[in-house]
Amino acid sequence: MSGIDVRGLGKRFGERVAVEGLTFHVRPGEVFGLLGPNGAGKTTTVRMLTGLLSPTEGEAVVWGHRVDRDGEGLRKVVGLLTEQPGLYERLTARENLRFFMKLHELDESKAWPRTQHYLERFGLGGREEEPVGGFSKGMRQKLAIVRTLVHDPSVIFLDEPTSGLDPESARTVRDAVAELASEGRTIVLCSHNLAEVERLCERVAVVKRRLLLMGPVRELRRSGQALDVRVDGEAERFRVALAALPFAPNVLAEGMRLRVMLEDESHAPDVLACLVGAGARVHSAVPAQRPLEEVYLDLLREEGV
Amino acid sequence: MAFRPRRALAVFWKDFLDLRKNVGLLVSMAVLPAVMVLVPIAVVWTYVNTPNSADLRSVAQFYDPTLPLGASAARFLIDKTLTDWFGLFLVMPVFVPILIASQSVAGEKERRTLEPLLASPVTAAELVAGKSLAALVPAVVITWVAFILFCVGVDIVAWPLVQGPLMPNALWTFGVLVIAPLFAFFGNGVAVLISARVSEARMAQQISALVVLPLVGMVGGQVAGILKAGLGFYALQGAVVLVLDAVLLVASIRLLDRERLVSRWG
Repeated sequence: MSGIDVRGLGKRFGERVAVEGLTFHVRPGEVFGLLGPNGAGKTTTVRMLTGLLSPTEGEAVVWGHRVDRDGEGLRKVVGLLTEQPGLYERLTARENLRFFMKLHELDESKAWPRTQHYLERFGLGGREEEPVGGFSKGMRQKLAIVRTLVHDPSVIFLDEPTSGLDPESARTVRDAVAELASEGRTIVLCSHNLAEVERLCERVAVVKRRLLLMGPVRELRRSGQALDVRVDGEAERFRVALAALPFAPNVLAEGMRLRVMLEDESHAPDVLACLVGAGARVHSAVPAQRPLEEVYLDLLREEGV
Repeated sequence: MAFRPRRALAVFWKDFLDLRKNVGLLVSMAVLPAVMVLVPIAVVWTYVNTPNSADLRSVAQFYDPTLPLGASAARFLIDKTLTDWFGLFLVMPVFVPILIASQSVAGEKERRTLEPLLASPVTAAELVAGKSLAALVPAVVITWVAFILFCVGVDIVAWPLVQGPLMPNALWTFGVLVIAPLFAFFGNGVAVLISARVSEARMAQQISALVVLPLVGMVGGQVAGILKAGLGFYALQGAVVLVLDAVLLVASIRLLDRERLVSRWG
């Protein structure tokens, strides 16, 4: 089975419960965000899904490999970018990458051209023979990402992939992540950069030892029952007309935009009819979206984190 | 899980490459063999240059009161020095792998390279094998090269007195070819085991290095005339170390378990 299937997964370290009862599924070709505050169990979850730690409860299947029974097979199809690049500083970039090719028992004559492609893509072409000790933080991070890809993994776990990167490099990484997903790989992204998660992930899960919330980013960002309407001219002109509607208790106007809070989503057509009746030319009407960061912080506040 | 030699060799390749580029460690590794070779040559040279000294006869008679009057005290002391020195020479194959293995195992934790490494398909047994090879091969090669230089040096300085080659003799040949690799394996096993328990390479080296104390103590006993060394004495040491090697190997594989390392150091 492709993708990741997690059912009731948990991990205890002695008496301490690190993760409990996690259940989710990630499809092939999907970029899935795993969010949570520090110490929430994200790293433990990733370590269980990459075969580094054994679950103490539940089960997980990653690209057809049971994490508790087939660690070796699992590690062949999984790529892991850890929070720290973890490179051998006295070795050159090429030697670092060749080491992992050897560990994966790859035919280097075939694996190297693919790796070279990623090196070029991340701006490391021509730096292969330099010791990693002389690389900047960003270059190390990019090399670590290339190392994650040397064995052409089907499932990729990325922990803070753009940490330490300049905006241009961060964009290159984001584009690469999207491209890797479009090739049918499953990607799990752990990041505190919620704007990045918002751009890259289709769905996210927020964990704090247990699963707090999971769903498509678009749906999570929907701001309750609010509607964002863009009209021709000054929106303030129509605020009074909308405020008279009994099902729209709160209306905000700013420039050409109106945000209408509704008691029920089904009243959206009535709002538009009211605006048209008041002489407005409506350009667009979409469910209001909040930044993911706001959704995330509200959730943690509700949970008392 | 099947043992894949290619993956063990990959670990060996990387560690050996890293060692070749670690100038500080190479210098540390060179000091001990230099001492082990030069000191006994200097001692033999001293005996050869003062063969008729009354002091030499007194020392020789301390070790062997039945030493005949016609026998050369210098020659007796040269033979005794060469026999006893082998005990100290064994410190080298123990100590060199400690220097290397401490760096390679605890060093992975210090450099935060352990998690990416453990996320690869390499197994604990392959990791132990690769890292052990990377420590043992240089240790044994250094010991053998030092032995060759030692033999040449001793023969050159002893020639005027002995009028023939003294080295290599049976004890040293057997010791260096058979016992020294066993001791190297022992030093490596201790270092791997301790490296798996501590966080820093330096601490691993310091604690592991304590295992040479019994060796030094035994040589002290020989010099004090309490212990009498010989082929049988060293063969017995080798047998004991062989058993310890087997225990250390099993313990190392168990301690380099992914779960244990990651939950503690990852």
